Amino acid sequence: MSAFLRTIGVLLTSAVALTACSTTDTPAQNPASACAPSGGGPVTLTFTSWIPGIEEVVQAWNAKNPDIQVKVQTGPNGNGGTYQNFFNQLKAGNAPDLGQIEYDALPGFRVQDGLFDLGACDIVAKAKDQFVPWTWDQVSLGDAGSAYGVPQDTGPMALFYRADLFDKAGIAVPATWQEYAAAAEKVKAAGGYITNFSQSDINQFAGLAWQAGGHWFGNDGQKWTVSLADPGTTKVAQYWQDLIDRKLVSSVPPWTTEWDNAYNTDQAWTWVSAVWGANSIASGAPKTAGKWRVAPMPQWDGAQASAGNWGGSSTAVFKTSKHPYEAAKFALWLNSSDEALTLLNQKANLYPATKAGANLPALADGVAFYGDQKIYEVFAKASTQVPSGFTWGPSMTATYANASDGFKAAVSGKGTLLDALTAAQAYTIQTLKNQAIPVA
Amino acid sequence: MTQLATTTEPLAQDRPPARTPARRGRIRYARAAAVFVGPFAVLFLLFYLVPIVYAVVQSLYTVQRTGTYGPAQEVFGGLTQYRLVFSDGPFWRSVGRMLAFGAIQVPVMLGLALALALLLDSGLVTGRRFFRLAFFVPYAVPGVVAAIMWGFLYSPNLSPLKPITSTFDLLSADTVLWSIANVVTWVYVGYNMLIIYSALMSIPTEMYEAARLDGAGRLRIAWSIKIPMVRPAIVLTAVFSIIGTLQLLSEPQVFRSFSSAVSSTYTPNLTVLSLSSIPNFHLAAAFSVVLALTTFVLSFAFLKTAQRRSNP
Repeated sequence: MSAFLRTIGVLLTSAVALTACSTTDTPAQNPASACAPSGGGPVTLTFTSWIPGIEEVVQAWNAKNPDIQVKVQTGPNGNGGTYQNFFNQLKAGNAPDLGQIEYDALPGFRVQDGLFDLGACDIVAKAKDQFVPWTWDQVSLGDAGSAYGVPQDTGPMALFYRADLFDKAGIAVPATWQEYAAAAEKVKAAGGYITNFSQSDINQFAGLAWQAGGHWFGNDGQKWTVSLADPGTTKVAQYWQDLIDRKLVSSVPPWTTEWDNAYNTDQAWTWVSAVWGANSIASGAPKTAGKWRVAPMPQWDGAQASAGNWGGSSTAVFKTSKHPYEAAKFALWLNSSDEALTLLNQKANLYPATKAGANLPALADGVAFYGDQKIYEVFAKASTQVPSGFTWGPSMTATYANASDGFKAAVSGKGTLLDALTAAQAYTIQTLKNQAIPVA
Repeated sequence: MTQLATTTEPLAQDRPPARTPARRGRIRYARAAAVFVGPFAVLFLLFYLVPIVYAVVQSLYTVQRTGTYGPAQEVFGGLTQYRLVFSDGPFWRSVGRMLAFGAIQVPVMLGLALALALLLDSGLVTGRRFFRLAFFVPYAVPGVVAAIMWGFLYSPNLSPLKPITSTFDLLSADTVLWSIANVVTWVYVGYNMLIIYSALMSIPTEMYEAARLDGAGRLRIAWSIKIPMVRPAIVLTAVFSIIGTLQLLSEPQVFRSFSSAVSSTYTPNLTVLSLSSIPNFHLAAAFSVVLALTTFVLSFAFLKTAQRRSNP
């Protein structure tokens, strides 16, 4: 018995010692400024991503770079499990060299001290001007000389709509949000829904708020500010609340079989979505091939055209990587070379974050699913209309989860979207405080 | 034969000299026991005790940082995380929700399991083997798959039972808890039935003969002999079910994509999951410890009351 207790005691003290060690050692291990070639023979990098077809893109690199071989590992999308794995791996000290991280998750990884600042790598600093300015904002996180990832793709938003159904019902394609609401009534009368309200994927709502000039987070270097219910966002929330109240939008949860089914069986007529959404409709609603078209996102006021952004990723290098220079070299090739960007577009409909990417030959082609419309022309224009300066907070997972709980309640008639945003604001502030992250 | 020899030998000798061989034997047994227990003890230590101790240690720490992106410094925080746990409204509401769930679902499920076990044991049904297997099959279906399947059955647009699901919303805030209870019951009834059924099989048939001689009918035998005799099995299944109820995770997690009424803090384990994906490991650890203690207290209280009733 006493031996048993002694074992427990030893375990306890060793566990305490372990945690104590891990806290003091990690920051000292990696001087943030070192980004030099490793030297001493070929290196092998590990890279985790969920982009469809990423293996083939990496193969193209490996064939030409025998000295920097990349081993790719695929997983579920970020919030579907890969981020959780990254956080656990960082805690355990065995994270891959490179990881796929969406813009909204980068601050969270930086707060956990998990990212290597690629601003220290001269090759990355020099490449800055090749990228669309607002995408660079998304990876520099407010520090001009920093880059916590290399921008990969963006998600400029537009309006996907069923041209055949709109024609048949004699409804004009809405160019403003007012027209969109009016069209919603006519679509309802014709027996469908104009779209669903995305109660469980808050990123779409974030894109809508972004278009309307919403700013959810601010960071002055001393403190974070949270403003989930600022005037721009409030306007968007009230607009959709009205559509929900009048039962003009469906409450089918996004990314479910039921949701695919609604698109596949003509029950849902439009989707305000990002460029990569082209792939989602094509795979979710194959019966509707050739009937979809893409138009610019409806506008709040006709005078100044603006577009939202939904999603987009970066390729980040984790702080634990032993070869940050080689990792940066691969990340730059992956996200700025014509070869890689063309492959990424063909495999996964990714839209490049580089300025030159807009002129890729692959993007000039018509897309069969959209009746051979040159849909990327619409997104290229939208990409230039995305307002810059939208900042993500350091714990978006918590914000999304709470806002989604509130949105779901609002859709079922309990409270409003604005109530949900106000509650999510309070919850986010509490979450930051619980992690000792300074917040105003 | 050899067994006889070893047991009689020490008895034949006088007590004081017998000590030494007995002790030697004990040492020999201790070595043998160590060989047999060793693998279990090592695994138990590595995958059970160490994680528990680690979780407790984690829950006692808190972080400090300076600046908006300051790296976290872990410092000993005492019961800071536990204060947050006890002041967390949604968490305790979810515990209450699970208690309500358990108070209804566990008796219904165990009642069904008992009734099915008695029916199989009564000899009234033909094809006993087939039914025994058929009732057990849902347990072999992974919980997530079962939840997805029922989710489709409940869904108003995809269900083959459309006339029902489009009239009664089985996924609304008022009903979804019981829709989940139905899934859990469907999965676990057969498993619990099998435990009770095997207890029924071990009742000596003489007892039934004696009862029949005394003029007891089938119902009387079931009520006065079978049920009291399988009481320990019922208590066991009840304890497992109480533990399972408080740790409900995969079914509500799957139902989040079917129903807008299932929030990210719908069950205690969902709360822990959301916290660890933030990631706020310290707070998640504190929640886990409190949840484990709550489960322990409830199971223990149930066992105590069950024991007290059986020995008045």
